Amino acid sequence: MSTIKNKVIALITATFATVLASAADIADTDSCKLLRPVNSIYSAEVGSASILDTYLTPIRYTGINARIGYERMQAMKFAPEKWIMTLGAGVSYANVENRVRNRTMHSLMVDFAWGMLHRWSVTPSLKIAAGGGASFDGGVIYNAANSNNPVSAKINFSVNPMAMAVYNTRIGRLPITFRYQATIPMMGVFFSPDYGESFYEIYVGNRDNLAHFGWWGNRFDMINSVSADLRLGNTVIRLGYRNTIENSWVCNISTQMRTHTFTIGIGGDWISISPDFNPSARCRIISALY
Amino acid sequence: MKQLRHLLYISLLALLVSCHSQEEFDNNAVGNFDALWTAIDENYCFFDFKSIDWNEVGNRYRAKVTNEMTQQELFSLCSEMIKELKDGHTNLISSWDVSYYRYWDQYPQNYDQRVVEEKYLNFNYKTCSGIKYAIMSNNFGYMYYGSFAAGIGEGNLDYVLYELASSDGLIIDVRDNGGGLLTNVETLVARFIDKRTYAGAILHKTGPGHHDFSEPYDYYFEPAKDNRIRYIKPIVILTNRSSYSATNNFVSIMKYRDNVRIVGDSTGGGCGLPFTSELPNGWLIRFSACPILDPAGNLTEFGIDPSEGCKVDISPYDTANGIDPILDKGIEVLKSMINNK
Repeated sequence: MSTIKNKVIALITATFATVLASAADIADTDSCKLLRPVNSIYSAEVGSASILDTYLTPIRYTGINARIGYERMQAMKFAPEKWIMTLGAGVSYANVENRVRNRTMHSLMVDFAWGMLHRWSVTPSLKIAAGGGASFDGGVIYNAANSNNPVSAKINFSVNPMAMAVYNTRIGRLPITFRYQATIPMMGVFFSPDYGESFYEIYVGNRDNLAHFGWWGNRFDMINSVSADLRLGNTVIRLGYRNTIENSWVCNISTQMRTHTFTIGIGGDWISISPDFNPSARCRIISALY
Repeated sequence: MKQLRHLLYISLLALLVSCHSQEEFDNNAVGNFDALWTAIDENYCFFDFKSIDWNEVGNRYRAKVTNEMTQQELFSLCSEMIKELKDGHTNLISSWDVSYYRYWDQYPQNYDQRVVEEKYLNFNYKTCSGIKYAIMSNNFGYMYYGSFAAGIGEGNLDYVLYELASSDGLIIDVRDNGGGLLTNVETLVARFIDKRTYAGAILHKTGPGHHDFSEPYDYYFEPAKDNRIRYIKPIVILTNRSSYSATNNFVSIMKYRDNVRIVGDSTGGGCGLPFTSELPNGWLIRFSACPILDPAGNLTEFGIDPSEGCKVDISPYDTANGIDPILDKGIEVLKSMINNK
């Protein structure tokens, strides 16, 4: 036990040492202006959804899913070569039907995710990154046909390991960046009523046992995304695919949600410049992706 | 290294648990029957209270199911099976029919709207938020609330109770009120209490087993805010067998007030909050899922009896003669409550 503890302490110490060393690198190169553009993409996604939530119905519903998303990435100030930060948010809506297509459910969810990744250059074109972050997602699934169980409320906060691979290349004269990113929430806290608990009981005051510690024993989520960023001059067009998986099994309630969506996005790299910026100064641009 | 391997094994095992597989039934007669039986088996809340052997019931009806049955034949068979639950909250819902257990069909209806409105109110009443109200010639207030599904606005209630404030006592008629929203029960009760009031307890199932229940959770109602009008004079509530579900809940709470008497027939019951599930063919099944206890800790699934000496029935002869003996009894009880104060 003490061996593991020592290893964990050593790992944390090493991480902090790396961060501090990286910060020192910046100080050494202070004569060179470092510009850290914000890679910012607004995207629209459309695809399929599959939802099973046994609080509402034991039948799996399938249909369409749409999401409007925003993603922001930037090299971090303290160690721009090595650390990048990601920030994402989105609103998604799913309209799903049962097997015989005579009942409909609606799902409306919001999601926020923040992450920090350390990156390594495998080759000049290929970078990989790994790190962690936190995310929040919440919303409702609504089944209008139900009596006192018409809604399944979802609130989930989790801590997530993340990994990414980025490959920069050209097709003809067009620079393209291919990216794969995976996020696998490891633990967190999420909301669930009990097996047959009504929202009326919660309304009259019984708030016991609604928050559950989430771990891979009762919850497994995953987000996979593959994208190609076509850099057309100053504009970036993103084409991609996004897959989300949410599984939970708590209080004898099974929830399984899957989406497969195709993504189209638009954005670019933005730099904020202070009034005393001297354009003739020697500059170096460190992008989070390119 | 060994510890890492153990961690990996535990993680993989945990993943298998979280990726729980849901039992799926075929969309044929046998599959739909089994889906229905299972939905009730895992979620219905009154098996013990009603001494129902659901396995025996299932075996008896399953023997009659074949995949050659028509949808109508299957619906009819399934409807008969769930009627064995003797539960007005249990319905099978298809695209062409809804099955009912008519908990009131063995009893007189005990309410005739025309008699009350013509002979007692002279059609001289106001209507607001689903409530008909008036002060009768004997200076007793009368309000009829026909459905707890009808939303009650706080401002509307102020108008109603302001109008009735000068009456000596109030008759609240909830006959033929088949229920609705429990939140409306709270809104209405809050006008007839002057302090925090114990309303009963609610339970829920914690798993699919017949005995998997949570501890009862006590809940209370607060009186309406001080800037609202409350009515604390003697009250009589008129009930019949069609006073069901949320109405039954309203009566169960009001019954324990010192200034309240229940007059008429027993209520229809229905103290289980219904949930809905679904079969592979798209039919819905509604069933009692969460038992609600009255303030004395009783399940009122089979109804609430009137106060002692207040059981009254209405005969067809009474109705034909324009008499409502339940309303007459209510007036008599109100008078005696006021005289005994």
